[in-house]
Amino acid sequence: MANPEVDIVDFEPEDDDLMEEEGAIDEAPHPKIRSAITGGSSFSAPKKTKGRGFREETEAERNNRFASKDFDSLDSDGGPGPQRSIEGWIILVAGVHEEAQEDDLQNAFGEFGEVRNLHLNLDRRTGFVKVNQLPLFSTLQTSFCNDTPGNEEGYALIEYGKFEEAQAAISGMDGVELLTQIVTVDWAFSNGPFKRRNMRKRFVALLSSFTFSDAHYKERIR
Amino acid sequence: MMSGGGEDNGEFYLRYYVGHKGKFGHEFLEFEFRPDGKLRYANNSNYKNDTMIRKEMFLTPSVLKECRRIISDSEIMKEDDSNWPEPDRVGRQELEIVMGNEHISFTTSKIGSLVDVQSSKDPEGLRIFYYLVQVGTTIG
Repeated sequence: MANPEVDIVDFEPEDDDLMEEEGAIDEAPHPKIRSAITGGSSFSAPKKTKGRGFREETEAERNNRFASKDFDSLDSDGGPGPQRSIEGWIILVAGVHEEAQEDDLQNAFGEFGEVRNLHLNLDRRTGFVKVNQLPLFSTLQTSFCNDTPGNEEGYALIEYGKFEEAQAAISGMDGVELLTQIVTVDWAFSNGPFKRRNMRKRFVALLSSFTFSDAHYKERIR
Repeated sequence: MMSGGGEDNGEFYLRYYVGHKGKFGHEFLEFEFRPDGKLRYANNSNYKNDTMIRKEMFLTPSVLKECRRIISDSEIMKEDDSNWPEPDRVGRQELEIVMGNEHISFTTSKIGSLVDVQSSKDPEGLRIFYYLVQVGTTIG
């Protein structure tokens, strides 16, 4: 069901902080916020839903573990552009050949400066680059993969000490063939939320997602 | 180039939780990717009186696109948790994803190894989950 409030809200970075405002929660007067999340009523379009999460009661113990405040953030001016990480500038290399070795990337990307860190996630079983693995963030490696044959590309994260080195690597390697595959190279972290040109078309859907996750946070703050 | 269904649809949300309650309190790790690129991460343990770690940052569209590709290629959205092991005292995992017009919210126990996968009622589906969600903490 479309939320009429959504249509008058412009998508701006500040809107992302809806969860800080009490008003945000009042729009969803559901007895259980969990049900607002999972019941699909806060989405602009009907969704196919699946899973136990939609049928289970909320656990009171879960409330506080993911509160919206007190998150450590990278220092950011909120403007567009790449964001420095704790120790350097991190770029994402997508489309990496599954048989790529760290040396291959080291050689290619070492041209642009000293590679401080290089994460090329290998499949535990095959030793090949993991093709289905989510990006990781500094101290945590979260590996997402599967073993479906036929996947042939993965990703790497590369850290440089200097902005100029990272920028040169992006300029020099994006769209370039590496081990017979075209890789795409871009910054990993950004200063602020996406700003899409066609946001007008998408923002209703996006905002409905915010509603969903904001409610989620509200629930946990309590 | 591979291209799974729905990966270019603008709407994408992902949340993963793994945790348990024991003598060090509610120990868990949770993160979420929001549609605007915000990544939040929380990690809690009361071990040695440690306190909760909460971090947040913004990812570029390129990273989110890669995430969508990974989810899409994994075909996790086609699975169902109805025959997966229920969460128990050992722990609980949750995976919630919104992509395109599909929304999954799966819950299961912790999975120790592939033996657990094989002995489950849905080894095919649980294997996809197991390989999609492999958490290590070895990177420094």
